[in-house]
Amino acid sequence: MNSVGEACTELKREYDQCFNRWFADKFLKGDSAGDPCGQLFKRYQLCVQKAIKEKDIPIEGLEFMGPSKGKTKNSS
Amino acid sequence: HPWETVTTAAMQKYPNPMNPSVVGVDVLDRHVDPSGKLHSHRLLSTEWGIPSIVKSLIGTCRTKTYVQEHSVVDPVKKTMELKSSNISFTNLVSVDERLIYKPHPHDPYKTVLTQEAIISVKGVSLSSYLEGLMANTISSNANKGREALEWVINRLNAEIEEFAASARGTMRNSMAAAAFVEK
Repeated sequence: MNSVGEACTELKREYDQCFNRWFADKFLKGDSAGDPCGQLFKRYQLCVQKAIKEKDIPIEGLEFMGPSKGKTKNSS
Repeated sequence: HPWETVTTAAMQKYPNPMNPSVVGVDVLDRHVDPSGKLHSHRLLSTEWGIPSIVKSLIGTCRTKTYVQEHSVVDPVKKTMELKSSNISFTNLVSVDERLIYKPHPHDPYKTVLTQEAIISVKGVSLSSYLEGLMANTISSNANKGREALEWVINRLNAEIEEFAASARGTMRNSMAAAAFVEK
């Protein structure tokens, strides 16, 4: 599946792979502590935000919070 | 299929052959809230195959339409809720969809989906016709949605099977090697 920004597709794939694994193996089994995909997500996000601005996609009221929101006492 | 299987598949729903018009999916935001629920905000790009004459009138870079989707997964209560609305053509029509996946109350190997859509067409005299058309499309799409997830689940199972088969092959080789050494 492609990204809205053509340049972001590879970053998206890497992030998706990481997320899908974490989601099925950890999150759904009750282990939501630790997000191994934080770095990948940040890089992917920067690319997507740029693409959205360039393509003038009307996303309102959106805060690009990234994975850091909701992470509480994680040391990783 | 059990709720976990359906939810995992729903997160990876695109691409699938039942929804060929969805050409892009991006995660705009994702976080786990203090109560442990996963929130995801996604942007879906769709391409409807607009006739080329229309494309030449409106300009080719504007043939994509966009939908934003907010989902919440509660792994404790086992619910997944998706809400989506169009962000293109909001001056003409708004389509809001809400889907909820929950385990079947009596069968842990089944999942129940409830789906509703609210369509409103603005300022167009053919509004009731268009609304009817969209309602029909959305209700036939609901079945398509179920088929789409079935397709994704089969794909994921095939991937797991392939991985397990190659792992078994590797183990057999290692066991044969170990037996040889032990002699």
